[in-house]
Amino acid sequence: MASDFAIAQFRFLERLLVVHGHWCYKRIAQMICYFFYKNIAFGLTIFYFEAFAAFSGQSVYVDWYMLLFNVVLTSLPVISLGVFEQDVDSEVCLQFPALYQQGPKNLFFDWSRIIGWMVNGLYTSLIIFFLNIIIFYDQAFRSGGQTADMTAVGTAMFTCIIWAVNCQIALTMSHFTWIQHLFVWGSVTTWYVFLVFYGELSSALDENAFKILTEVLAPAPIYWITTLLVTIVCNLPYLAHISFQRSFNPMDHHVIQEIKYYKRDIEDRHMWKRERSKARQETKIGFTARVDAKIRLLKGRLQKKYSLMSAPSVISQQT
Amino acid sequence: MVTIRADEISNIIRERIEQYNREVKIVNTGDEASQTISKKSKKPQYSRFTQQELPACKPILTPGLVITTLISIGIIFVPIGLGSLSASEHVVEIVDRYDDACIPSNGDDEAAKRERLSFIQNAKTNKTCIRNLVVPKKMKHPIHVYYQLDNFYQNHRRYVKSRSDRQYRSPGSEGDTKTCAPESEVDDHRPIVPCGLIAWSLFNDTYGISTKDNPIPINKKDIAWQSDKNSKFGSNVYPKNFQKQDPVGGGKLNESLPLSEQEDLLVWMRTAALPNFRKLYGRIETDLEADEKITVVIQNNYNTYSFDSKKQLVLSTTTWIGGKNDFLGKAYISVGGTCLFLAIAFILTYVIKPRPLGDPAYLSWNLNSATR
Repeated sequence: MASDFAIAQFRFLERLLVVHGHWCYKRIAQMICYFFYKNIAFGLTIFYFEAFAAFSGQSVYVDWYMLLFNVVLTSLPVISLGVFEQDVDSEVCLQFPALYQQGPKNLFFDWSRIIGWMVNGLYTSLIIFFLNIIIFYDQAFRSGGQTADMTAVGTAMFTCIIWAVNCQIALTMSHFTWIQHLFVWGSVTTWYVFLVFYGELSSALDENAFKILTEVLAPAPIYWITTLLVTIVCNLPYLAHISFQRSFNPMDHHVIQEIKYYKRDIEDRHMWKRERSKARQETKIGFTARVDAKIRLLKGRLQKKYSLMSAPSVISQQT
Repeated sequence: MVTIRADEISNIIRERIEQYNREVKIVNTGDEASQTISKKSKKPQYSRFTQQELPACKPILTPGLVITTLISIGIIFVPIGLGSLSASEHVVEIVDRYDDACIPSNGDDEAAKRERLSFIQNAKTNKTCIRNLVVPKKMKHPIHVYYQLDNFYQNHRRYVKSRSDRQYRSPGSEGDTKTCAPESEVDDHRPIVPCGLIAWSLFNDTYGISTKDNPIPINKKDIAWQSDKNSKFGSNVYPKNFQKQDPVGGGKLNESLPLSEQEDLLVWMRTAALPNFRKLYGRIETDLEADEKITVVIQNNYNTYSFDSKKQLVLSTTTWIGGKNDFLGKAYISVGGTCLFLAIAFILTYVIKPRPLGDPAYLSWNLNSATR
């Protein structure tokens, strides 16, 4: 996390702080929370399987899947979140410096948020693991009567993980350029493409993963239905939480996003200008601030002196 | 000593200033002929990417969008759930446990256990066992016959590791048995084909099914995956030195058939995910009527008595979702129902206590001053 910045002119400091500082804080907070979430969701499923494998250390996933998880399949969307995410655009940041206060007030990286994301990861891992295990339990999974072996169950479970965490990041992002779309949906597509190509390699024969998608899983409707079910169940609590929070307890950037979305800033320029001026504060530090404070103090004393001086004249008039 | 007059100095200064202005003008108007100081702009090249101004869609979760999403999820999920549940209802399944009935004694004491073990491990005892089953509903062909094992950890790491796919594929790699320990070689270092614990523990109970008088043939072709038969196991690899030394773990193999045609072995080699699993034994290609009495003649060869396990015979029809799977339909219906309930809750709270969108009164500096 870089904290050394060089700017060419002193006037660039405003942009650095109010635009880039604001974005940077939110990007890093969201990226870290999401990273914990996705790795908890993935890692805990491996631990749960140990309870069913006599704690022998057998992983339900083929080694290649686990290697690619953090390298190709889920790393690019997080990078695009951490590099490109904007809650409001740069003009609005400059017009509303009060939005920067979300950083010092630590609204996005406090303990309740971190623990909330971790609980979300725990819930996701439980849903993915147990739904897959129960659905693929011991009966046939295809109309041909075949039962699912460990590689088939592992591949189905891994597909659910990829979909669930990528849909989760799509719900977290609020700024979608072509890059985000490419990375998020491209990661899901890459998973299927990898399965097709890996299934053709002879090294996949050693892992029971030969033609795992083309022959075993893709023709089974239960595979696709399970993926859909697990993805929706994993993301439903988060969707409900953010919709309720946004509707009944909105934060500043939510309200401003809505104003811009419904173009109220263009319809009601007076309101926009008024809110912009309210979003600035007089500075409380520095030489000019001290001078202003001293002037206010002296003015106050002068007011009191005048009121005292005028009071006896009132009394003398009455007597 | 050189004397310079005041007016000359001012002329010199004026000249210099004019020359400088000319140079700046030349540079600013882009005259290439000028070779003086160039005041190039140091501003970096503008691009939408570096200025983070790429065209973007910024969707926001309005109540309308959320309610629409939840209702559409509910509308899609409930029919899928109903379809899956009805498919599962159509599956007819017969499950029969026979390992406790097909042995001499069933007690829990040490003597009974020893008796069971000596019975099952003795190659000369008569292990035939007759079971009678009743068909609950009409079963349409193909009816799939499975054997189910409980508490058998085919997913144990040492067990899963103990195989050599290279040896199974090609006869030249016969000696590639390093990963198969402890079942890799016989005493005089000749390799076992197929090596490894998985092949060694091959399940070898057999079932013969018949109705009142007629035996029903069980089709044992095409029970393994096509890719197993074509690519994974060689059509010129023959079993060698298999189950020739003590202890014998399971079934023996026909040494004249290549591995790719030993479909029971292929099905067994696909290690199951859970300790309770079923594996396909064969298929019955005729219908079974409701209330029909069928007799199963079982050869109870496989030793599941040294550990706490169960053996069951399963006959099951299948539908598009496979075997009996009530959970899938119920899960879909409950998730669809939850989404509809959330949508209704959202609509109610939005109707009762709406928040106008884009209302600046909800900005924190306005809210704080309102409460003060």
